[in-house]
Amino acid sequence: MKIKPLHILTVVFILMLPFLVEENRFLGFVLGVTFINIFWATGMNVLYGFVGLMPLMFAAISGIAAYALIYFIAEWHLDFWLALPIATLFASFVGVVLGLPSLRLRGFYFTLCSLIIQSTLTLAFIFFPKFTNGDTGINQISPPLWYGEPMKGHPFECMLSVLTLLGIGVAYYIYQSKLGMRFMAIREDDVLAESLGINVVKNKVIAFFIVSLYAAIGGCFYATYIGFISPRSFDVLSSLNIWLYVAFGGKATIAGPVIGAMLLAPLPFLLQSLEAYKDILSGVLIVLITLIMPGGIFGAYLTRRNAKK
Amino acid sequence: MNPLSEQPLLSVKDLTLRFGGLYALNKINFEMHAHETLGMIGPNGSGKSSFVNVLTGHFTPLSGEMKFDTQNMLGCNSNQLVQMGLCRTYQAVRVFVNLTVQKNIEIAQLMLDSAGLSESEFNHYLHWLNLTPILGKLAKDVTLFEQRKLELMMRLVLRPKLLMLDEPVGGLATSEVNEMIQLLKELKSYCSIFVIEHTMRVIKELADRVVVLIAGEKIADGPPAEILNNKRVINEYLGSAHA
Repeated sequence: MKIKPLHILTVVFILMLPFLVEENRFLGFVLGVTFINIFWATGMNVLYGFVGLMPLMFAAISGIAAYALIYFIAEWHLDFWLALPIATLFASFVGVVLGLPSLRLRGFYFTLCSLIIQSTLTLAFIFFPKFTNGDTGINQISPPLWYGEPMKGHPFECMLSVLTLLGIGVAYYIYQSKLGMRFMAIREDDVLAESLGINVVKNKVIAFFIVSLYAAIGGCFYATYIGFISPRSFDVLSSLNIWLYVAFGGKATIAGPVIGAMLLAPLPFLLQSLEAYKDILSGVLIVLITLIMPGGIFGAYLTRRNAKK
Repeated sequence: MNPLSEQPLLSVKDLTLRFGGLYALNKINFEMHAHETLGMIGPNGSGKSSFVNVLTGHFTPLSGEMKFDTQNMLGCNSNQLVQMGLCRTYQAVRVFVNLTVQKNIEIAQLMLDSAGLSESEFNHYLHWLNLTPILGKLAKDVTLFEQRKLELMMRLVLRPKLLMLDEPVGGLATSEVNEMIQLLKELKSYCSIFVIEHTMRVIKELADRVVVLIAGEKIADGPPAEILNNKRVINEYLGSAHA
């Protein structure tokens, strides 16, 4: 693994960010949400960018983890740090099961199927109020304890920055590893991959497990950071937004999802007066990206750099 | 000959494949020994590619037995068969077009990993197929002939015992066909070859034995000289111009 000065700079920058906005609670909050979105986008990229499957049930898996976490804390009186891995593994297991259609469906057909799964689960969140408090949502979710102190505000954002870096690091490791190469082979041509001795089924299941881990960990921290979740937090628009970060920044790259999420995730907060047009903006962006820059910002940059060489 | 080598490398008994009411393969019996080069010919739609697809795990046969290297192949996935040493190429050339030639080869090497080729063997193959100059190019930017050679390279790094080639000279120019025949002749020393071809020159020059499929049935099996003069083969496939 080659480490370039730019990598170190990025790491330092991400770790510094919470301190730059320490004084301003509003910007701090926007930063925290952005971190979670970078984490999510990086995770979705593992499946969408590396393996070539677009999992629109991503937010639903986050939701399952978040609701499970809260249930474990409230009903079983588990500590957050114990409930986190349990909820994550539970949601990841569900994610792997939900990924099973991908073993038969490819491309657009899998995307459609995942869209249906997402919609069904959003409805499930509404219709099982025993676990989710229905459409009203769950509020005043208590923050995790850190050495007996509830973690809130600035310290939480510092932790999210570390979490984000870990997420990016793991994705980078996968990207460079043999596993990443197998994923790439499956994305490019799964029949050919199979005929070169790559076990496509096994690798797809592994990919779904990894992606679900990202979705689930992000979901758990999202719930405890924001302090409020409802089925709306994990609906199809959330999935599409995360997908948009990946596509806008540049799929199948490491920097792409980070750039995409950094640019787009804060927008709804910073342009609150334009709240009504938020979804229109997303829609327009999706169309523009697919038409003009199929490789996203970073993809377009790479193409240009390679053309110059 | 010791008794072990008399065991056929590939043996197929009463293999039947059905698509709805159509028998794509009807009770095919077939044996192939190691170090034998076997050609398969037949008109379009006679079941040649289906035969390869069944053997390499893409289709599940309705009935029959298949053994490779004395192991039962029935129910094995393509990737397991590759690990047993049975590799194939496709009728339409199939490489990872968006990746470089180098990356294509690296992906093919994933399965065997460190247990794969030694560096000298690897370089020998690379040199033999003359792929070194194009390693950095995208696979979609190289010629069809180079793609065909890349396909061979990607199979060779898997150390196959048997390589099934589905029309290896399809779409190539005449001069390239000659070169490819030469390469395939040399390939014989690395592994056993099963080849489907419509170009009779390839069959004549390469094959030790030829199997003829027509409408899913094996109608002839023997040395090329004999098969190419077989009345039925001429009538139903080759046409009188060939004889």
